[in-house]
Amino acid sequence: MVTQNVVYRPGSLEEAYRLRTDTGALPLAGGTDLMVRYRKTAGLVPDPGRPVLFIGHLKDLRRVEERAEEVRIGSCTTYTELLSQKAVPEILKRCITLLASPPIRNRGTVGGNICNSSPAGDTLPVLHALECSLVLGNIRGERTVPIDRFITGPGENALSEDEILKEIVIPKAAFSGWCYRKIGTRRANALAKISFAGLYLIESGEVHDIRIAIGAVAPTVVRSREIEKTIIRIPRTSLQRSTVEMAARYRPLIRPITDQRSTTGYRAGVTLVLIEQFLTAVLQKKG
Amino acid sequence: MKIKFTVNGRPETVDTDPMRRLLDVLRDDFGFLGVKEGCGEGECGACSVLVNGEIVFSCITPVGTVEGSEILTIEGYRNTERYRAIEAAMEEAGGVQCGFCTPGFVLAAEALLRKNPHPSEDEIREGISGNLCRCTGYSGIVEGIKKAAESEGVW
Amino acid sequence: MKEKKKDSTAVRGGTASTSRASISGPVPRQDAPGKISGVASYIGDLCFEGMLYARTLRSTVPRARIVSIDIPAMPEGYFVVDARDVPGKNGVHMLTDEQPFFAEERVNYVGEPILLVTGPERGKIDQILRGIRVEYEEIPPVFGEEDSKNPRIPPLFGERNLFCEYEIRRGEVEEAFFDADFVFEGCYHTGAQEHVYLEPQGTAGVFDGERVTVYGSMQCPYYVKTALVGGLGWKEDRIRVVQATTGGAFGGKEEYPSIIAGHVAFAAIKTGRPVLLVFDRAEDVVCTTKRHPSLIRMRTAVDDRGAIRGMEIDIALDGGAYVGLSPVVLQRAMFAATGVYRIPCIRVKGRVFATNSVPTGAFRGFGAPQAFFAVEMHMHSLAEKLRKDPLEFKRSYLLSMGDPTVTDGRMKQEVPLPRMIDRLCKLSGYEKKHRAYKKEKTRRGIGVSLFFHGCAFTGSGEKDKIKAKVLLKKEDDESVSILVSNVEMGQGAQTTLKKIVAETLGCGLERVRYDNPDTDRVPDSGPTVASRTVMIVGGLLAKAAGRLKRRMDEKGEVKIEERYVQPPHIEWDQDTFTGDAYPVYSWGANAVEVEVDPVTFEVRVIGVWGIYDVGTPIDERIVGGQIEGGISQGLGYATIELLQKENGRLRQKNLTDYIIPSSMDFPDPVYELFSSSYEHGPFGAKCAGELPFVGVAPAVAAAVQNAIGRPVRRLPVSPEYLFEAEHDED
Repeated sequence: MVTQNVVYRPGSLEEAYRLRTDTGALPLAGGTDLMVRYRKTAGLVPDPGRPVLFIGHLKDLRRVEERAEEVRIGSCTTYTELLSQKAVPEILKRCITLLASPPIRNRGTVGGNICNSSPAGDTLPVLHALECSLVLGNIRGERTVPIDRFITGPGENALSEDEILKEIVIPKAAFSGWCYRKIGTRRANALAKISFAGLYLIESGEVHDIRIAIGAVAPTVVRSREIEKTIIRIPRTSLQRSTVEMAARYRPLIRPITDQRSTTGYRAGVTLVLIEQFLTAVLQKKG
Repeated sequence: MKIKFTVNGRPETVDTDPMRRLLDVLRDDFGFLGVKEGCGEGECGACSVLVNGEIVFSCITPVGTVEGSEILTIEGYRNTERYRAIEAAMEEAGGVQCGFCTPGFVLAAEALLRKNPHPSEDEIREGISGNLCRCTGYSGIVEGIKKAAESEGVW
Repeated sequence: MKEKKKDSTAVRGGTASTSRASISGPVPRQDAPGKISGVASYIGDLCFEGMLYARTLRSTVPRARIVSIDIPAMPEGYFVVDARDVPGKNGVHMLTDEQPFFAEERVNYVGEPILLVTGPERGKIDQILRGIRVEYEEIPPVFGEEDSKNPRIPPLFGERNLFCEYEIRRGEVEEAFFDADFVFEGCYHTGAQEHVYLEPQGTAGVFDGERVTVYGSMQCPYYVKTALVGGLGWKEDRIRVVQATTGGAFGGKEEYPSIIAGHVAFAAIKTGRPVLLVFDRAEDVVCTTKRHPSLIRMRTAVDDRGAIRGMEIDIALDGGAYVGLSPVVLQRAMFAATGVYRIPCIRVKGRVFATNSVPTGAFRGFGAPQAFFAVEMHMHSLAEKLRKDPLEFKRSYLLSMGDPTVTDGRMKQEVPLPRMIDRLCKLSGYEKKHRAYKKEKTRRGIGVSLFFHGCAFTGSGEKDKIKAKVLLKKEDDESVSILVSNVEMGQGAQTTLKKIVAETLGCGLERVRYDNPDTDRVPDSGPTVASRTVMIVGGLLAKAAGRLKRRMDEKGEVKIEERYVQPPHIEWDQDTFTGDAYPVYSWGANAVEVEVDPVTFEVRVIGVWGIYDVGTPIDERIVGGQIEGGISQGLGYATIELLQKENGRLRQKNLTDYIIPSSMDFPDPVYELFSSSYEHGPFGAKCAGELPFVGVAPAVAAAVQNAIGRPVRRLPVSPEYLFEAEHDED
């Protein structure tokens, strides 16, 4: 007989933490990524080679809570569930409506997207732009890590062997507008060649906040606070550089690969134009 | 692991590897062969089933995660009045050719119409966007779902 | 009078129909209830007592000598099946039989089958396969045509790496080029394409100690049977082939199933148990046939008045590792090389080169889509060079009745294109839009393509090779059985063939029976390919039904046989490719409107229009389904379906990587049928299955060219291609 997976289905988050500590089991929420990653040929049981911890059913991980300063999303809330929540920012909803297909959105979770840490993960640039932080829990307690410090490389992140991603915390912030664009392989059920998230706040003719985050063009999401700072709170009339020059500062950060979906040249070239267009649009806004 | 759920209205218990694909359990253990495998990785929708009324890909659903759920396959659905409305409309609109994708589309239509009985064309196209068809170009399927939605008193 | 008779008929959402044959009205699709309800039994749904599963060990390198295969000890009940278990010839019969069922000393492509592991549990089979070690001594592989000239790379086929090479000449072409004012040249590339029938391939073999039966998802039961006769070295009467409900094919299940039919037959004989072999998608992508990538060079001699004097066309197709059907694909490409145009003199050269990659093969259109892309883009660009409107320019060269074809046959029927173009322009608003988009920098464009599809087999193939035979049988219970080897694979054959018989007999459809072909029951009416089923096989059934009608009152069983007789108007010499390459042509005209995103270069298709002459449509809904599906597959081919080879391996490995259209990608096409009746087709029917695919890509490419104001020379017209084209020029 072929080996059988060891799988745990905890009754509570407490129990999940304990099982995670005791066994190092792999957390699985909807399975939409992991079942593909560990799939074998037809008819065979996917085999991650280590114990599995089902967490998708845990109520504590499947809720959205709005607080005064932030929105807290349980890591196992499905995409479909998020779409019906008023507290979820519009840019994230827009991103989710362009993500995969209804059957995937019914099972897939934003926590899974984060922990999968794929360079092409659709929600990641949006979560970076929203400056989310992640609540990682274990049997002993919780810690909170900003998303840009959590994801460290393709498929790599700072989740410890005993931790579970519990919540995604989206700080509330005022924005005058946002832009989300996914350049995919087709119009539905597609993987991103480039995904672009931009947010801005304009007050009294000045850019008070601007955030640009781009996915699928480098090992992790590209965001530069340094470049953003060169625009923030500078009167638009006294900006020294053209938007083309500003966008060009991103050039060293954009390091895409050529793969089965697109090319280095296309991804880099189009990304710079998307940035430039966003900057132009923002700087032309009256505010 | 023992896993309990309802399939096509019948309570069932299986004792199996919880990581097994729901697809394999439905086909091999229960003989629900209307659930098809077209890609094995959640791209084509031939394996679509309803779990608690929502459309999911059974090829990437571990059976252990449907504990306590209600599962509906084409075999259970085809005894309903709604099925008959979709069947007639799909046939009339030319929504069926090779048929391999068809049960999946029928269930996608059900999932859509139970939430949204009067969908626009865009909503129909969005609702079936997880299901691939290589024969029809989708025109007949979209029209079939439109026609089914017009059936009086069904939805 | 003539005009009225041939008026157009709208099918979905168009204008009201005027005159139509009574047979054209849609009837309930005969196979629909079983398919919608999930009752229809596909190959993967079959189960036999004591059945074993099987999986294939495949080459992981593009070209090598197999030094050794190390197989661990087999657990009880598990078997390895390889070349030593092939009782007859280890060669799959198609045009030749050089492709082995199982590789012996050498492997020639990644994915080539080496052996089969079979046994009762799929998990155990997987473990066994993982334990097998193959030691390869790699040989420098041939990846492209240029490698043929590299002396360090041994040729893969013959001395020059060419599976075949042909030339056709008509008229004094050297003179035309000598006299030319200028020569207009262009190079056109098309990429590979994956069929993506939703049901992956599969077969099952059963051996009863005397006879072997193979079930499978297939287009051509008798191709499979012939291949089994060769591989088993048995007499025909010991072999039976049964088609299982087939979940799409598009040419992909024409020649390929013969290989895996052999595999399950050999395995069933060796193990004495039924054996089921069903691919999963990733395996299907790796090892089954693809559409031929092409490079077509076109040269046109133009005189000082801007008129075309002659054309030279050079077609190169990548055949992959084995010859397969490539020569015939090339012939169809060559016979379409000058499109729908009257060209005074021509030279068409063609060749298929061998590469160490998965074999290319039959795919809807069969060489014609590549040729039409080249000629349509070439004519379009030449018109622009001459500062003429592309459609007007094309219109002035249209073939008409009596004109010579590429092969110096004669157009024997009226060419309805002028009226079809008028209607297309009216429906799509082409002329106004084209002018406007050319002037404005809107990034919108509209393009037109004009095309034909030669119906049924090329040349005298139906008479000399296929020799179709059909049976119609009135049963004791007064029902009438259609006995043919042509399959229902989604295209509607079950419905259209029944309709032809019922309409001829003047009886209800429910009285006519059609079951999936079983070679023990049905005669060889030929393969389900080349858009031949309705016109050729349906034609024979109509004749048989006409004879049966006079005998319907007889008691008991009545059997009527019909054999193919070539219509008297066809003249063909297969050695010189001279004469009528096809008995008749179906015609088409497409318009496509696009918008190209100025930043991302994504091509959004806004509108698709089509006018088709397929003769009398046997069922408008079924023909409509072929049109809508063909257009969708064509739009995918034209824009998003990228299938690339890198060092002999496919970059796209599954349906996550290889992208076909979803329900959100393209608008519904608007189309109409022109019904010119063909006297040798049943009720006047010609061919419909492949035609709607053929013209889509050139119309898309022409629209993009109109939108961006620079030439499009490659398929698919991907954002990456457009981006690079724009930046190369800058």
